[in-house]
Amino acid sequence: MHPTISNISQWGFVSGRISALEEGFLSREFFLTMAGQENTDDILRNFQDTFIGDYFATGITSDELDSVFDRCFYEMALSLRNDCPSSIPADIFLLKYDYLNLKAALTGKSTFLFTTELLPQERLSSITQGNYSELPQPLKESVTPATFEAFQIDAGIIDIALDGSYLRHLLLLANAIKSSMIKRYITEMVLAYIVIILWRAVNQGIALKRYQQYLLPLGDFTGVVNDLIGANNQDAWQTIIGDKIGDLFNESLGSQTDDQISIFNLKVSNYLGRIAREGRYQTAGPERVFAFLSGFFTEMQNLKLVFTGRLNRIDQGIIKERLRDCYV
Amino acid sequence: MLSEWIELGRGLCYGGAGLAFGLAGAGSAWGIAIAVHQCAGVLREKPELFGRMLVMIALPGTQGFYGFIAAILIMTQTGLIGGTAIKITLGTGMALFFVGLGCGLAQFVSAIKQGEASAAGISLIARRPEAAGKAILFPAFVETYAVVALLATVLFIVFLTQPLALGLVAK
Repeated sequence: MHPTISNISQWGFVSGRISALEEGFLSREFFLTMAGQENTDDILRNFQDTFIGDYFATGITSDELDSVFDRCFYEMALSLRNDCPSSIPADIFLLKYDYLNLKAALTGKSTFLFTTELLPQERLSSITQGNYSELPQPLKESVTPATFEAFQIDAGIIDIALDGSYLRHLLLLANAIKSSMIKRYITEMVLAYIVIILWRAVNQGIALKRYQQYLLPLGDFTGVVNDLIGANNQDAWQTIIGDKIGDLFNESLGSQTDDQISIFNLKVSNYLGRIAREGRYQTAGPERVFAFLSGFFTEMQNLKLVFTGRLNRIDQGIIKERLRDCYV
Repeated sequence: MLSEWIELGRGLCYGGAGLAFGLAGAGSAWGIAIAVHQCAGVLREKPELFGRMLVMIALPGTQGFYGFIAAILIMTQTGLIGGTAIKITLGTGMALFFVGLGCGLAQFVSAIKQGEASAAGISLIARRPEAAGKAILFPAFVETYAVVALLATVLFIVFLTQPLALGLVAK
């Protein structure tokens, strides 16, 4: 799989850190037990021993509850990024925060959470003030002055343009690092993301033509997007998507209509997790960092699901169904 | 035998000694650096594991000593240290050169690979500290071949510098 470790010295430190941190990962049994807890105090007590235990120990308000899981992931990714010889494995995971901030900037907001070096506070503030030359290059590829005028008329266009830019940015990052595993992960992720975007649009009755206008270009996936949009019905989608993601799409069609997209999302997440976990067996290298961050992100998602789910008295059966595959 | 040939043989012999300790020392430094990088990362999160990691870091350092032993043996057996310098034929000089080179290469590669094996062992200890005993076995297997190379080197040096091998005994 990864037979050589040519860069072991450079990635050794961060990989050593990860080896020590991996001991803190929680098993599926932990989450299943937590999902069955009825008492809020018991839930909180169990969370003290997890990665977010420190955040709870300092005391958080109910307003901060939603963001504490994101903050924990963001701070871990940023900390590992600083120890990496290449920032790309961490940047791939931090990119979503940049694009959330970018959306906030384009809609005139001035408060930004979880900023990174790619889009620091000053640059985002400049975009808020209308300085579009500060936009990241992948976004500039699809937007023109006319697009910005369209933003004012229809806010939905921002989401489509930002989704397209985010996916282009991911593909750029994946191509910039010599790792077949990371490239494969990103390629599959981008394809799955395209399917989810278009699927949601179909369900919401949004005209798919505007996706051709604002989501593209997407490199090798441009043809797939055009074919999906041009398909007369969703039965043809599996063939167009192809390979594993196509199979997962087909499996998801078998679920209840309301759950199809979230089931597909879960299946894709588990599939991508399996790809990423191949990096666990590497002594040192970018795949190791990528695998850890992928596992850490999943852990945060599971913790968030169980914690908020139980606090809101959501049925434990639903929570257990929605749990993602764990790192350990 | 021409004195120039003897001088050339002597030069080759000490060139081999230089390669033995040079390559082995370089390999050990490299191997230790690989293990230390991994170890430092682990200690950032778990400083209490320092004691268990120390042996893993030190293991790739032994090759440097093996190269040093080989070089010293060449110098003592040929009389450069503590004795009368003996005549070394071109053939014996070349043989000792390649013995030194072979030893140096074996130590160089094994030290780096032992560093990588130590790094893997360090990762294992970080995740499962109770497995420290098993983790030390992996780099120890790599050590076997450094020791075998040293033994072969010692035998070669000793027998190549016997009077018979040097052509100093009448047949």
